[in-house]
Amino acid sequence: MNDSTFNEIADLALRETGQAFQASKRYLMEARLAAISRRESFATLDDLAHCLKARPNNRFKSEVAAALTDKLTRFFADPQMIEVLATHALPQRLAASKTGRLRVWCAGVSTGQEAYSLAMRLAELDSGPMRHAKVEIVATDVSADSLSVARNGVYGHFDVQKGLSIHRLMRYFTRQSSGEWLLNERLKSAVRFQPHNLLGEADKLGQFDVIICRNVLRGMGRPMQNIASSTLVNRLLPGGMIFTGPDEDLAVIHEGIVRSRDIRGAWERRQSHAKSAAA
Amino acid sequence: MKHCLVVDDSRVVRTVAGRIVKDLSFEVSEASDGSEALRKCRERMPDAILLDWNMPVMNGLDFLRALRREENGNEPIVLFCTNENDTEHIMEAIRSGANEYIMKPFDAEIVESKFAGVGLV
Repeated sequence: MNDSTFNEIADLALRETGQAFQASKRYLMEARLAAISRRESFATLDDLAHCLKARPNNRFKSEVAAALTDKLTRFFADPQMIEVLATHALPQRLAASKTGRLRVWCAGVSTGQEAYSLAMRLAELDSGPMRHAKVEIVATDVSADSLSVARNGVYGHFDVQKGLSIHRLMRYFTRQSSGEWLLNERLKSAVRFQPHNLLGEADKLGQFDVIICRNVLRGMGRPMQNIASSTLVNRLLPGGMIFTGPDEDLAVIHEGIVRSRDIRGAWERRQSHAKSAAA
Repeated sequence: MKHCLVVDDSRVVRTVAGRIVKDLSFEVSEASDGSEALRKCRERMPDAILLDWNMPVMNGLDFLRALRREENGNEPIVLFCTNENDTEHIMEAIRSGANEYIMKPFDAEIVESKFAGVGLV
């Protein structure tokens, strides 16, 4: 890949999904585009970049941009966060709710593990107020391929052994003859997957009690972080919370956000800011 | 330092698994079948046991059942580590007192994740 190819693809990533590629991450760009490049029979990424320029095709452009995003995820990647959500954050929102319905948005969910982990933990709450709560989990990603994996709910030998206990594997999955593991229907139906780009409008998704967006913002360029974080903040119900990855400081990215005083790891709207916004 | 007994009739698997567990700051000892493992447990009960299923002399399941009948035999956390990857074997192991189950092939990340899940690290 020559320098101009790298720059063109890096520009495309930044424009389409906000991803920022440093020059030192050439190998990452090459690795993430390997499959799509093979599928389209390009000998090199230079050919791929040339094709993008010579024959503008929005669908292919979006596919390339989606392929460039970080797909790395696992079941219970942050078990403490899932625990805080299930036993503190959501019960607190439930207590404030008139309808007994709660809405959760997993933004940038990749192949679905995080959303399903939350659904599993919620299914295990067999006492307390959350037992009768109706929790709607909406999970979005910019990559149609990732969402298709998530919807199918079929995970490999290594995926199901990292983060999942054997008890959860037995409870929620069935072994396929291929050696892969299929998530059961009840759990699959607990999550609704939808394509969405965090740089675009999210009004249609509605508003949420809790938004989870882990390790998405950190890969973005600064102006795009602002756009994406505003998208998230605008979807929060009053009193709602956002959870990010451990090294993502939302207060630095968005001035209207502060650390929650009650819920560990959560972000909430700055009070004065929320009032002036409502006025 | 916590102590882990690695039980497998393959020397290669014992070496690989032993190295992974050492990296998790465990003292490691080895046994090549269930009866040798049982002898070692009677001398000194480990904190964790990484246990193969199919072995000569005494297999992993028979060892586990015998271990759980021993004095203090409920103390070690037992993680099966085996090629037997079907639901029937896994359920049988859990019923017989296994705490976790690793399906071969495994890597360091899987072992660490499973050890963390049962509170060993």
